Amino acid sequence: MTRYILERFASLILVLFAVSIIVFTLMHSVPGGPFDESKGRLPPAAKENILRKYGLDKPVWQQYLNYMSHALRFDFGIPYQQPQTTVAKLIGKTWAVTVQVGLMTILVAFSLGIFAGMYAAYHQNSWIDNVVTFTATLGVTVPNFVVAMWFILFFAVARQWLPMGGWSSSGQCLIGNYLCTDWILPVIAYALAPMAIVARYTRASIVDVKRADYVRTARAKGVSERVVMRRHVFRNAQIPMVTALGTEIPNLITGSIFIESIFRINGLGKFFVTSTLNRDYPMIMATFLLVALLWGITYMLTDIAYTWIDPRVRLGSKGEG
Amino acid sequence: MADAAGSPSPPEALVLEGISESRTFWQDARRRFFRNRLAVLGLVIVSFLVILAVFADLLAPFPYDFVRFDRVLKLPFVFPENPLGTDEVGRDYLSRLIYGARTSLIVAFSVQGIALLIGMPLGALAGYFGGRVDFVITRIIDIMTAFPSLLFAILIISVLGGGLRTIIVALSLTSWIIIARLTRSQVLTLREQDFTVAARALGAPEWRIMMRHLLPNALTPILVAVSLGIPTAIFAEAGLSFLGLGVNDPIASWGKMVGVSNAYVRVYWHLALFPTLAIALTMLGFSFLGDGIRDALDPKQER
Repeated sequence: MTRYILERFASLILVLFAVSIIVFTLMHSVPGGPFDESKGRLPPAAKENILRKYGLDKPVWQQYLNYMSHALRFDFGIPYQQPQTTVAKLIGKTWAVTVQVGLMTILVAFSLGIFAGMYAAYHQNSWIDNVVTFTATLGVTVPNFVVAMWFILFFAVARQWLPMGGWSSSGQCLIGNYLCTDWILPVIAYALAPMAIVARYTRASIVDVKRADYVRTARAKGVSERVVMRRHVFRNAQIPMVTALGTEIPNLITGSIFIESIFRINGLGKFFVTSTLNRDYPMIMATFLLVALLWGITYMLTDIAYTWIDPRVRLGSKGEG
Repeated sequence: MADAAGSPSPPEALVLEGISESRTFWQDARRRFFRNRLAVLGLVIVSFLVILAVFADLLAPFPYDFVRFDRVLKLPFVFPENPLGTDEVGRDYLSRLIYGARTSLIVAFSVQGIALLIGMPLGALAGYFGGRVDFVITRIIDIMTAFPSLLFAILIISVLGGGLRTIIVALSLTSWIIIARLTRSQVLTLREQDFTVAARALGAPEWRIMMRHLLPNALTPILVAVSLGIPTAIFAEAGLSFLGLGVNDPIASWGKMVGVSNAYVRVYWHLALFPTLAIALTMLGFSFLGDGIRDALDPKQER
């Protein structure tokens, strides 16, 4: 087990290095940069000074090594768009918002999704089951910015019940700056797709397990229905749910670019778009490394969670055959 | 109902008792497909979109870049010539929507086409030869899956600048991964099967084994992956254009129309409503069609 984790960790670090090299070379392979004078001419001396200050006068590989040696000490440089702060601070500030959105979304998506999926599974082929299946199809196929726009059109424009956008900025809040009315639309619009996936997984796995022999045996022994459901059905239905959790969490934590743009939330996703439009190398690099790291770690944790939930699962190369 | 596929069946009397009429795999698949109501609905929606895209020049009342400065931001039905209103620079919205179908489909089909051209050979090479070739290709795949493909597309676009061609390149660069991985796993299993061993024993050259024996057998799952990859590409194009990173003006794109509409939504609801409906309908149509093709070609999978 320890060995497996170490191996995964090593490959994660390798992937991170590869990602950093790819992003770095891509960003530097094209002419033009943040100071390419498209927004006004600079005197040659001033330009030279700026390039030297940001280390842009050195060869690319040297710039890369320089960057990485700083990055390993959590110094990701200075964003070109906001030189008065640092990349680490800026990411920290915007990511805090994104994490709030993400956590609320996870909470809503998983509680409602599991509930809907279980309900649909226990009342298989009833109209509620059909409604859940239909909504799940819609939630998975229709992009979230489309759903978000429909929500805005209905709840904010046609009926002015909720604010059109913002995060803790337009509308009343329940506690301080938290649980505000302007949280409702983004969270629900964002939660719809993962909720649909969770509901689908939950329904499918419960329907599967419900007919298993050991469940029938438990019933035959006279175990109460509630205990059968909790100890036999639900426990075994957890594995696909962990898969869903593992694939959805990195998405949700790193934020939805679309949800943040359409609701004007100043989170990491929206900032990433402005960074790419401005060719802000340090910001783009740091965001990419952060996202790759988060994805890698959650995938690793998902695999470990499997063994914890289901002791039959063995990790490592031996088990694969 | 059984003859929905339209294949002529021999008269009942000619069919011997106990021996059913023999059908090929594709006839079977077609029959399964046309029995699936959602799949047929998907086919209808997709055919409609294809007609819109191909005949946009004939169907649209105005060219996509035709501007009337005296008709900026008109709501639907204000002018009979503009049944769905006009946009923020005075272009007919219905015409823009029709041309939007063309943009969507061009991106989706080109991206999947390129993904096939890159992914299939690379996946086949990795699966067939194994060893060092496999190692290199799987590592590339691993690295590419380390971050969201949309983020990668944005990175490419930020480097190359927006535009239709860049979008196709950016999306193709990420979508070949799925095809390559699928082809690799298919070839890995097919390579050890008896007919491959037999072909090799008979002295068939490697390329012939690959082209005649492996790829045709791997084709079905790849076809399914492509048909499900098309809505993904449509979503990606709409999303990128929505963010302002996609196609440039004056080309019509539903995603861009939604993105622009965000600023006007309080009064000019039509700018937001129609393109979102178009995107949703397209996504549903292609998903139903893709699911239908999957269920028809691979009846063992799912339920």
